[in-house]
Amino acid sequence: MKKIFISLIAFAFFSCENIIYPELEPSLEQYVVDAWLNDLPGSQKIFLSKSNNYFMSELPKLLSGAEVYLTDEDGNRYDFEETEGGYVWGDSSSTSFLQVGTSYQLNVSIDGIRFSGTSEMNPVPPVDSITFKYQEKDFSTAEDYYLAEVVATDLAGVGNTYWIKAWKNEVYLNKASEINIAYDAGFSAGGNIDGQVFIQPIQELINPFDTDEAGEALIEPPYSIGDTIYVEIHSISESAFYFLNEVKIQTVRSGGFGALFAQPFSNVSTNLINEDVNSAIHPVGFFNVSAISSLEQVLTSEIAQKAQEEAENKN
Amino acid sequence: MRLLFLIIFFNASWLSAQQMVTLSGEISDAANGESLVGAVVYIKQVEGGAVTNVYGFYSLSVTPGTYDVEFRYVGFNTQNMVLTLTENMRLDIELVEIEKELNSVVVSANREDANIRDVEMSTAKLDIKSILKVPTFAGEVDIIKSIQLLPGVSTVGEGASGFNVRGGGAGQNLVLLDEAPVYQTSHLFGFFSVFNPDAVKDVKLYKGGIPPRYGGRLASILDIRMKEGNNKDYQFNGGVGTVFSRFSVEGPIKKEKASFILAGRRSYVDVLAKPFTDVFDNGAALYFYDLTAKANWDIDDRNRVYLSGYFGRDVFKFDERQGFDWGNQTGTIRWNHLFSDKLFSNFTGVFSDYDYGFSFGDDASDTFDWSSNINTYDFKPEFNYFLNAQNEIVFGAEFLFYEFEPANAIGVSDGFISDISLDKKKSLETSVYFGNNQKINDRLSTQYGLRISSFLYLGGGNSYSYGTAIPGERKPWIGTQSHDNMETIAHYEVLEPRASLRYTLNPRSSIKGSYNRMNQFIHLISNTVAATPIDVWQPSTNNIKPQTGNQIAVGYFKNLQGNLFETSAEVYYKWNKNQVDYIDGADILINEFLEGDLLSGDGRAYGLELYLRKTRGRFNGWISYTLGKSELKIDGVNYGTDMAERKGQWYPNRFDQRHNLKITNNYQINDRITLSGVFSYLSGTPTTFPNDRFSQQGYVIPLLKNERGNVRIPDYHRLDVSVTWDNVYFGKKGRKNTDYFVFSVYNVYNRRNPFAIMFSQGSDRQPIDEPVETIASQISIIGSFVPAFSYNFKF
Repeated sequence: MKKIFISLIAFAFFSCENIIYPELEPSLEQYVVDAWLNDLPGSQKIFLSKSNNYFMSELPKLLSGAEVYLTDEDGNRYDFEETEGGYVWGDSSSTSFLQVGTSYQLNVSIDGIRFSGTSEMNPVPPVDSITFKYQEKDFSTAEDYYLAEVVATDLAGVGNTYWIKAWKNEVYLNKASEINIAYDAGFSAGGNIDGQVFIQPIQELINPFDTDEAGEALIEPPYSIGDTIYVEIHSISESAFYFLNEVKIQTVRSGGFGALFAQPFSNVSTNLINEDVNSAIHPVGFFNVSAISSLEQVLTSEIAQKAQEEAENKN
Repeated sequence: MRLLFLIIFFNASWLSAQQMVTLSGEISDAANGESLVGAVVYIKQVEGGAVTNVYGFYSLSVTPGTYDVEFRYVGFNTQNMVLTLTENMRLDIELVEIEKELNSVVVSANREDANIRDVEMSTAKLDIKSILKVPTFAGEVDIIKSIQLLPGVSTVGEGASGFNVRGGGAGQNLVLLDEAPVYQTSHLFGFFSVFNPDAVKDVKLYKGGIPPRYGGRLASILDIRMKEGNNKDYQFNGGVGTVFSRFSVEGPIKKEKASFILAGRRSYVDVLAKPFTDVFDNGAALYFYDLTAKANWDIDDRNRVYLSGYFGRDVFKFDERQGFDWGNQTGTIRWNHLFSDKLFSNFTGVFSDYDYGFSFGDDASDTFDWSSNINTYDFKPEFNYFLNAQNEIVFGAEFLFYEFEPANAIGVSDGFISDISLDKKKSLETSVYFGNNQKINDRLSTQYGLRISSFLYLGGGNSYSYGTAIPGERKPWIGTQSHDNMETIAHYEVLEPRASLRYTLNPRSSIKGSYNRMNQFIHLISNTVAATPIDVWQPSTNNIKPQTGNQIAVGYFKNLQGNLFETSAEVYYKWNKNQVDYIDGADILINEFLEGDLLSGDGRAYGLELYLRKTRGRFNGWISYTLGKSELKIDGVNYGTDMAERKGQWYPNRFDQRHNLKITNNYQINDRITLSGVFSYLSGTPTTFPNDRFSQQGYVIPLLKNERGNVRIPDYHRLDVSVTWDNVYFGKKGRKNTDYFVFSVYNVYNRRNPFAIMFSQGSDRQPIDEPVETIASQISIIGSFVPAFSYNFKF
C-alpha cells in the first residue's frame, strides 16, 4: 500500500534519483554470524563470514577453521561441522534437537576469539488458513487480481513475537520490504492486542508487489489462479523481533518522495558478544531458534470463483 | 530575583513626583481601519516617544506643555501635530498610505532607522505587502518561505516540513497565529505553508532576545497576526494560481466599529486532472485547503473584542479507505480592555488542535486506522503599563492545558475489532512573567524580565518506570503505575531570565546584546531525515525532562547613506540541555514504552549572521549570510570505539548547515513590471554513510562505524526568478481595483538538489543465491525547473 501511495505522490511531483558512487573508507572486516535455527526436520546451518565494503556486490566469503557448537540448559552440546556451505548439524534425515521452552547458547571460537549468544525457543501458533480476496483491476494493475491473507491467532500471553515468511510458487518473498514480523497480533510492543488474530496489514504482507515488466507504473497481480502460496510462522525471540524491525528500517529505502519518511542510517543490534569485553572486535549478526508452523494453499478456480462472488456480494 | 524588583521599583525615574499627562490612542490605516503595529509616536521636545503595540495602541506620558508630535509608519505619510497637553488626552490617528509605493520595501521595519534604535535584536518583522514580490515555489506568496530568506533561518530541503532557526529543530519553533499555537506549518509536505497571505497582517520572528511574554520553545517564536478586516468598505481579494486558488472577502459589519475577514484557499490538482485520468475515480484524493476567519468589534474607546479562527487540512488518499491526512484548527477570542490611559490589557482564550493520521484496508471488515492529535487550551491575561516615557512594563500569565492522544489505533481483522490505542496524556503549563522596557538615557535602552513556568504532567492513565540500560539501548520497563484523572505525575519548575540592551554609538549605528533562557516542555519526536507531518508530540514526563536552552547574542547595526543601506552583524552562542534523541530502531508510531526508547543529551549551536539591505530605489533587495554550526552530544550515540561506556561525542545534528547564503533582488523596470530573483546557497546537511555490508538470512544490511553525521550531502543551490506585471486589466482606472500577474520559474538552472543519499539493495526482487547488488543514489525531491503563474486581484 505504501508503495502505491508513494508512486502516486512521486508521479505528481518532480522528484528524481541519480546513482552516485561515493568513496567509502576501507572495510571494517567485522566478524558476521548468521545463525537462524529451527525445529524443521533436516540439517541446521550457521554461517560465519566477514563484512565487506558496502559496494562489493558478492556473496559472503565463508570463514573456515572455527569451532561452532550449541549448548542447552541441561549441558547438552551440539557440534556443528565445517562444510563448504557453512557449519552444519545433522543431515536431511535428521530431526531437529531444538525443543520449545529450552534456552540455547551459541558458542563460536575463531582466530582465538570467542563469541557467544543465547536464544530461547518459543512456541508457535498454527496457521489456521490462507484465504484469497478478489480485486477488480484498478489504476495500479492491468488486470483483476487476488490478494492472499494468512489467518493465525497469536498465542495467549503478552510478548510473543513471530516472523511470517511466504513463498509464491516456491520462490521465497525475499524483499526487505516483505519482512513480516508481529509482536503479539500487532506491529509493536504495548499495542495491547494479545491472543488475537493478526491484524490486517500482517495478514496481507504475504503478497508480492512486483512492477510489471511491460510498464514501470503497473504492478503484477500478486496471485492469479493456479498459483501456490506457502506460509511459515516462525516463533522468534523478542530481541530477534527488534533486530528484524531494525533490518527493515535500514534496508527498505524507498526512493523519490518516500525519502521524506526515511530514517537516518544506524547499526542494527546484535545478540552476540565477544567474551573478552575489552576487545575492540565486535561481531555482528544474530542467533535465533524458531519453532515453525506452516500451511500451503493453491488458488484453485473454485476458490477464485468464491472470492469473486464474495466481492460481488459486498458491492 | 529580589534585586530585579529593587531595580524596577526603586528606579529613580519612577519616583519623580512631577505631575504627568498621558497621550494615548490607536493608530490605524485610513484606507481600511486596520490597526498599525509598530507605528511611531515621536515627540520632538523630548526626543522620544512610543511605539504602538500589536493592537495598534500607544500611550506615553510627559509633563504638561505644548509639543510637536509626529505619527509615523513606513510607507505612510507622516502626520505632524502641535498638541497642548494639560490633561490626559485620547487621540486616535489614521495614517494615509503613500500612493504609489515605487520604492517597494521588502522586509520592512516600522521606521527607517528601527534596526538601529530598537532594543530588540535577532528579530525580523515582515509586513505582508512587502513579501508579495518574493518569488517562491509555484508563484505563491509564502510566509514560511519568505522568512527563510533571513539570516539564521533555513530548511533541510524541499519537502521538509517547518523551518530551522539558528540550528534548532522544526519542533523547537513556536508558531502563533493570533496567539494560537500552530503545530504544523506545512501544506503538501512543506511546499506551501498553511497561512493564507490574504488574511495575514504581519509576521515577526524572534530568533533571540526573546521577550518574557513568550515561552515554551527553544529556538524561535514566529508571531503571525491576522488582519482585522476592512471596517470601511467591502473588499475582495483573490488569486488563481497553478496549484491552488484563493479568495477572501472583508468588510464592515458596522461601519468603523466592527469588521470581518473570511479567506479561503484550495488546491485543485485533483479537480483539473479528473477528466484526464481515472486515478481519482475510486476515491483517491490529493488536495489541501484552509479557511481563515476573523471578526472584531470596537465596543467603545476602552473595549474591543476579536474572534478569529483557522481551519486547514491536507488529504492524500489513494482510494476511498486508504491514505493519510492532517490538519490544524485554531480558535482565538481576545478582549482588549483599557483600565486607564496607561494600563492596557488583553485577555486571550485559545483553542488549538492538530490531528493527523493514516488508514489502510480493503473494506470495512479489514482496516487499520491510526491517528494522533494534540489539543491545546490556553488562557493568557496580559498587561502593558505605560509608566512614563522611560518605562513600559509588561506583565501577565499563561495557563496552557494540553491533551495528547499519542496513538488512536483501531485494527479490524475479518470483522474483529482490536483497539490498540494508547492512553491520553495531559499536562498543564503555567507561567507568570513580567518585564520592563526601559530607556536609561538617549544612548542606552534595555529590556529585561523574568518568566517563571511550571509544568505538571497529569493523570489519568499510566506512568512507567524504567531500569537502566547501556547508553543507546532500550531501557527495560520495570513497572507501571496507574493514576487518577488530573493527579500530578511529574512536576517541573523553571526560571527564565531574559535581557537585552542597546547602546547607540551614533544616529547611524548601535550595538546590542541579549541573553535568554527558554524551556520546552513538549517534544517533537521525529526519526526521519526531515520533519514530517506525522511526527509525534510527546510531553515531558517523569522520564523525559523539559529541554532547556540558553542563548547569548551580540550584534552591530549600522545604516549608511541616510538609511538607504542597512547592515547588521550578529553572533550567537546557544547551549541546550535535555535534547531528545532516540535509540536506533525506536518505534515511534504506537509504542506505549516510547519513553524507554528516548535518549537525552546536550546541544550547542553558534554562528555569525550578516545582513545587508538596500531599502529603496528601483533596484532593491538584500543579502543574508549565516555561518553556523549546530551539534549534539548524547550518550549512546556517536560513541566511536568506546564500546564499554558508550560516552557520546559531539556530532552535527540533522540541520547543521555551515553556510547559508540568500540573495534577494527586485528590479522595477517601469511602473508596471518588476523583476525579482532569489538565489539560495546552503551547505549540505550531515548524513551517515554505511561503510560495510553484511548478510543475514539473505538480506544485505549496512554496517556503520559508531559515528553520526560523518559525511555531507552535496551543497544545495538554486535560483528562482519572477516577473510581476501590475495593473494587467484594471489599469489605472479605479484606484481601489488592482490586479497583478506573476510568472515565476523555480529552480531556473534545473539543478537536481540532493535531499538525501540513499544506500540500498534496490526495491526490485533479488535472485536467491546470487550476490545482491547494493547501490547509492542521490534523491532530489524537485529535480527540474518548475514554471508557474498566478493572477491576483483586489476590488
